[in-house]
Amino acid sequence: MINESLFIIVVAQAVTAAVPLVLAGVGELTAQRAGILNVGIEGLLLTGCIGGFVAATISGNGMIGVGVAMLAAMALASLFAWATVMMRADQMVTGMAINLLAVGGSGTAWMLAQAHGYAHMPVEAGFTRGIVPWISPETQQWLSSWPIIGPIIFDQYGLTIVVGLFTLAVWWLLRRTRAGIIIQAIGENPDSCAMVGIHVRQWRCGLIMVAGACAGLAGAYLSLMRTHGFSPLMSGGMGFIILALVIFARWQVGGLIAVCLGFGLVDATQSLLQGSGMNQVVPYQLFQALPFIVAFSALLIFRRGQHGPATLGQVWPSTIK
Amino acid sequence: MNSHFQSAVVSISVTVVAVGIAMAFVLVVLAMMGHAPTTVMSMWLEGSAGNGTRFAMSLQAAGPLLFTGLAAAVAFRCGVWNIGGEGQFLLGAMTMVACGTVMIPPGPAWCALPIACLLASAVAASWALLATVAERWRGAPIVLSTILLNFIAVAVVGMLVEGPLHDPNTTAPQTASMVEHLRLPILVDGTKLHLGVMVGMLAAIGLFIIARWTMIGFEVRVVGLNARAAAVVGIPVWSRQVLVMAVSGGLAGLGGAMQVSGVSGMLSGTSVSYGYAGIAVAMLGRLHPLGIIAAALFMGMLSTGARHLEGRLGIPRDMGDVVQGVVVIAVLVGSMLATQRFMRPAQEP
Repeated sequence: MINESLFIIVVAQAVTAAVPLVLAGVGELTAQRAGILNVGIEGLLLTGCIGGFVAATISGNGMIGVGVAMLAAMALASLFAWATVMMRADQMVTGMAINLLAVGGSGTAWMLAQAHGYAHMPVEAGFTRGIVPWISPETQQWLSSWPIIGPIIFDQYGLTIVVGLFTLAVWWLLRRTRAGIIIQAIGENPDSCAMVGIHVRQWRCGLIMVAGACAGLAGAYLSLMRTHGFSPLMSGGMGFIILALVIFARWQVGGLIAVCLGFGLVDATQSLLQGSGMNQVVPYQLFQALPFIVAFSALLIFRRGQHGPATLGQVWPSTIK
Repeated sequence: MNSHFQSAVVSISVTVVAVGIAMAFVLVVLAMMGHAPTTVMSMWLEGSAGNGTRFAMSLQAAGPLLFTGLAAAVAFRCGVWNIGGEGQFLLGAMTMVACGTVMIPPGPAWCALPIACLLASAVAASWALLATVAERWRGAPIVLSTILLNFIAVAVVGMLVEGPLHDPNTTAPQTASMVEHLRLPILVDGTKLHLGVMVGMLAAIGLFIIARWTMIGFEVRVVGLNARAAAVVGIPVWSRQVLVMAVSGGLAGLGGAMQVSGVSGMLSGTSVSYGYAGIAVAMLGRLHPLGIIAAALFMGMLSTGARHLEGRLGIPRDMGDVVQGVVVIAVLVGSMLATQRFMRPAQEP
């Protein structure tokens, strides 16, 4: 009985950990399908963290924090879109520059917030657990007490359901709609798409912005829901892990969910082990490195010869007439 | 006017304009925060190059950036996206500290110091080659594997700093101080400007000569411009990529070794992000070894100046990172514009 409930706790924690990965991952995956490799996703996450934190702390309203987080990340994403899609700058290096910008910008904003007395978030501005916002505590408690699916699905932050529905919608979009076909065609052969009258640049810019909003929201999840605070560099490489997971999922939405949940399980297990006194035996740095070791192993398991979208990360159009 | 000279003039002017745009952007942001641009600029110049000592500090700050910038540029020139400068730098520093504390190489300084440096480069180069092997063996993209290896390297170094290398006399997470004969000589009294910065400049000049006047440099550039074409004309692409990765990792590691042996003499658990800044230096230097000397000096001045501004005006020094990011984007966009305007597309690397 003990083991069973422990298992459920670990799975529930895995879901909590997987939510931001899935959210930012789905945005990145869709953009990559259209040939955009945004290495700046780490910076976009960090921007979401600080934007959400600062806005929620100043306004005292979590929803405003969420909105500002998305807008701030979209603003940074628009810089990436302008540089790479409109000005044909290298996606890789621009992405790293976006990361530098986000590190500097978030550090500056954090210093200023501290200097002006906004270092701590008011309690009411952060989100508590609740499957939808404004749910009554009784309903939430009743739902969470359901066996098995209670803790796993209902005892989560409000974003979980939103992410679930959003992911389903993206899966359907890519699989079943004309827009999905266009997105994939743009990633495979933008020249042909342009020839039949598809606005390649508009599509790519749009997808970068959507991916930016997703990453910003995921960042807000980290600062407003999971931790109720900000610390410098709090995204801690999650964006890079997402890039690895997208590859490991072979650019499939279903695969991405599975991979993120699996990754969440590893994460939950390691925090369980760390909490149960294992850190007396094993250095804590090993636990810190574990996500990255897992992600690196995932890259190794990835089968050779399985390439992603044909024009992923390439400059388009390749020549200017 | 020959095309080589023309492209150099275009590159340099684009870069200067890009730096100007980035500085202007940050000055506008600071002006909105209530700091007059003229005060900020004069204070920045005073802090980074106001007198000999301050300029020596800027030069010293440029040292590690010179190495990581060269490391990034060597790899990027060959189309190998080594983003792992951070981890390679740290591992080089860690090896140097290990050599200076627990496994001191034999002999006097003239013998032990080069051995320690070589060892540091070798460790960092092997770490970098892990990514190349992963790409060759399993098709893992180097961009991503090097980034992930950075985080693993940070943990490895952290584990060693608090484990076998830990200073028994303190509870703080730091290593013991290195023995005196493995410390690099200081060039200017009263500062920490050490021999390593000169070594970095020599390395840049050496790379320039190799890239310009040797067969191997030419082959590496061809692989970077078009790997398929290189293979067709018989250049061993894979072995050139391995070589470049080893040199790139080795340079970053050497930078870490020089930094730790010249400046602090020990290692604490904190990360320094010279590796990521090296990418910005490489882009600002237009992947050209001599350009990178100038870019590293500028970034060094940026960081000492930012520290001075933080002390005097209370401007967070993270603004320096913002300048770096804006500079890189401005350089990228500017060079694309210049390519369209002044040159045929094929000429730009």
